[in-house]
Amino acid sequence: MQSQVEPNLSYFIAKARSIDGRSFQKKIKVAILSSFTINGLEEALRVKCAESDITCATYLCGYGQYNQDILDQSSKLYEFSPDITFMIIDTRSVLSTLFYTPYTIPANDRRTYIDKRVADFVNLVKTFKNRTGSKLVLTNCSIPTYSPYGICEVRTEYGLKEMVYDFNARLSDAFRSDPQVFLFDFNSFVAKYGEINVLDYRQFLVGDIKVSLSYIPHLAEELMGYVKANLGVNRKCIVLDLDNTLWGGIIGEDGFDRIDLSLKPPGMAFMEFQRVLLALYQRGVILAINSRNNEDEALRAIRDHPFMVLREEHFATMKINWSDKISNMKEIAQELNIGLDSIVYFDDDPINRELMSKAIPQIKTIDLPDDPSLYASTLMQINDFNTLVMTNEDRKRGEMYREEHKRTELKRSSSNLEDFLKQLEIRVTMKKANNFTIPRIAQLTLKTNQFNLTTRRYQEEDVETLAQDHTKLIGCAQTQDKFGDNGITGVYIVNKNHVDKEWFIDTFLLSCRVMGRGIEDAMMGYILSKAKEEGVIKVKAEFIPTKKNKPCEQLLPNFGFKKEGEQWVYTYNVPIKQTNHVELNED
Amino acid sequence: MSSNLLDIVANVMEVQVSQIDDESGPETIENWDSFRGLILFEELESKFNVKFTLNELLNIKKIKDIKNILSVRGASLNE
Repeated sequence: MQSQVEPNLSYFIAKARSIDGRSFQKKIKVAILSSFTINGLEEALRVKCAESDITCATYLCGYGQYNQDILDQSSKLYEFSPDITFMIIDTRSVLSTLFYTPYTIPANDRRTYIDKRVADFVNLVKTFKNRTGSKLVLTNCSIPTYSPYGICEVRTEYGLKEMVYDFNARLSDAFRSDPQVFLFDFNSFVAKYGEINVLDYRQFLVGDIKVSLSYIPHLAEELMGYVKANLGVNRKCIVLDLDNTLWGGIIGEDGFDRIDLSLKPPGMAFMEFQRVLLALYQRGVILAINSRNNEDEALRAIRDHPFMVLREEHFATMKINWSDKISNMKEIAQELNIGLDSIVYFDDDPINRELMSKAIPQIKTIDLPDDPSLYASTLMQINDFNTLVMTNEDRKRGEMYREEHKRTELKRSSSNLEDFLKQLEIRVTMKKANNFTIPRIAQLTLKTNQFNLTTRRYQEEDVETLAQDHTKLIGCAQTQDKFGDNGITGVYIVNKNHVDKEWFIDTFLLSCRVMGRGIEDAMMGYILSKAKEEGVIKVKAEFIPTKKNKPCEQLLPNFGFKKEGEQWVYTYNVPIKQTNHVELNED
Repeated sequence: MSSNLLDIVANVMEVQVSQIDDESGPETIENWDSFRGLILFEELESKFNVKFTLNELLNIKKIKDIKNILSVRGASLNE
């Protein structure tokens, strides 16, 4: 695989100095704990953050001090109070002398040794979690390529490599469903660049450096995946050109039978690229087309070419016309209701790319190599699609956008809005916060900006705590209609005050995907009826205006809430607004 | 490949080229700690396409030592 071009570490060191004191739109505090010398990582992270408009403050624990930093309640680490902590451990430190001479002791003792090391780390992480709310990204260990047993290593019971393999597998198991802890696959990182490159023996011997300085920028790049995901600055959509991008040649000139797209090279390079795109589509990345072509010719290829991997159903929208690509791009963003800054753009033509990056710099325009055999690996290098959790809604996003397209068509053919809403056959199911819904509830509070009364953000751990609190009512709304299932799109959190028979709406939000269909009204109606059933006489709510939440400004007054100071109050002196076109159920 | 050694040193150590000469080294340049030293060697290795040995890394005390090693390796110094 082609590896990403990174400047030398000296560039980051100098650049870090030059951005010192500058502040950017988003902020994050990153701590680095390591079992070896990892100087330079701080600077590389700060520079990479600055490039993504993030001010990054860093803390690096003293050499060999990570245990003490975690155990000591009053350590500099906790004083720094990080948002994310990277804990980078290496195989030599974990195995100690067994790294060199594993066969000094019998297999059973090697097992016991690994049991103990796993327990050590699990305990250390437990202590860390008790002391701070910081996310923890723990690395696994790189599996040594060398064994003193050579070709007999694989026949050896619980040999050197199996020890590390087992250690890694057990760390994964221990933290798989822990919302605060993530395992960074350091073993994959080393495999990608090669053990003989990542460990420079001279640097290791001179300074206990176990990731050589040349690879620190690459490591920083991979760790940025967590930083960006934690701040929600990920990209959501890939916009693609067609000719010489999804297939070789020009459909309008070469024709259906002559474009390069087949199981043999060179056409196979384009299939390979499309397969990687399909996998990203399945994880929730939206695909769209922006191409200058005759629509019927291009569509025929997309629909009927035997070797197209991506078909019409995979594209949320297709702009195939002779308008300029920049206007097309703006229309795509508008139609999909996504920011231009969440788009990645692939086009083989350097002039188009130049025009696009000048006109819309927020878009990540990929510097696509001339050689199509490098398209797939170029795509695999992009580290911008990460989210900290993957929900069912993410996996089904592509399908949902396709359904959305059908809704738009129905809306166009309906005579009025009421008629359209009736024909949609909307069903809303109100659900409680439980193990299945909590990750999505947290995700929605973290990223919903437009239809969000209070924009209060809750991490998964917070939602878990709220769900166990009997003075709170926390739930969500799953919505579907005749075109499909939108998944969980609404969230509410209520504080109950039994003494005064009052409820307070702490959070009320709806994903922008389903805004304007009366789902918000059905949800609010549900809360107000529920309160009434419990004998509540007054429901209070807040609207905290932000730059983005204007769409929900009228929700409270529309339900008859009256403004009292900073709050809005509903006292049941007007009947609860009905939403007849929505069928409401409780789960 | 021809590059100016002093420029590289000045850049890595964040000092002016005029502040360095053959006798400069960790003793005379404040920023030149062991970490910066390794960054300098990494930079020189990629610019001059050479690999230093462990002993060379340990024994470089001043710019003159670097020049000697580079000239033995046949790197062309643009001075």
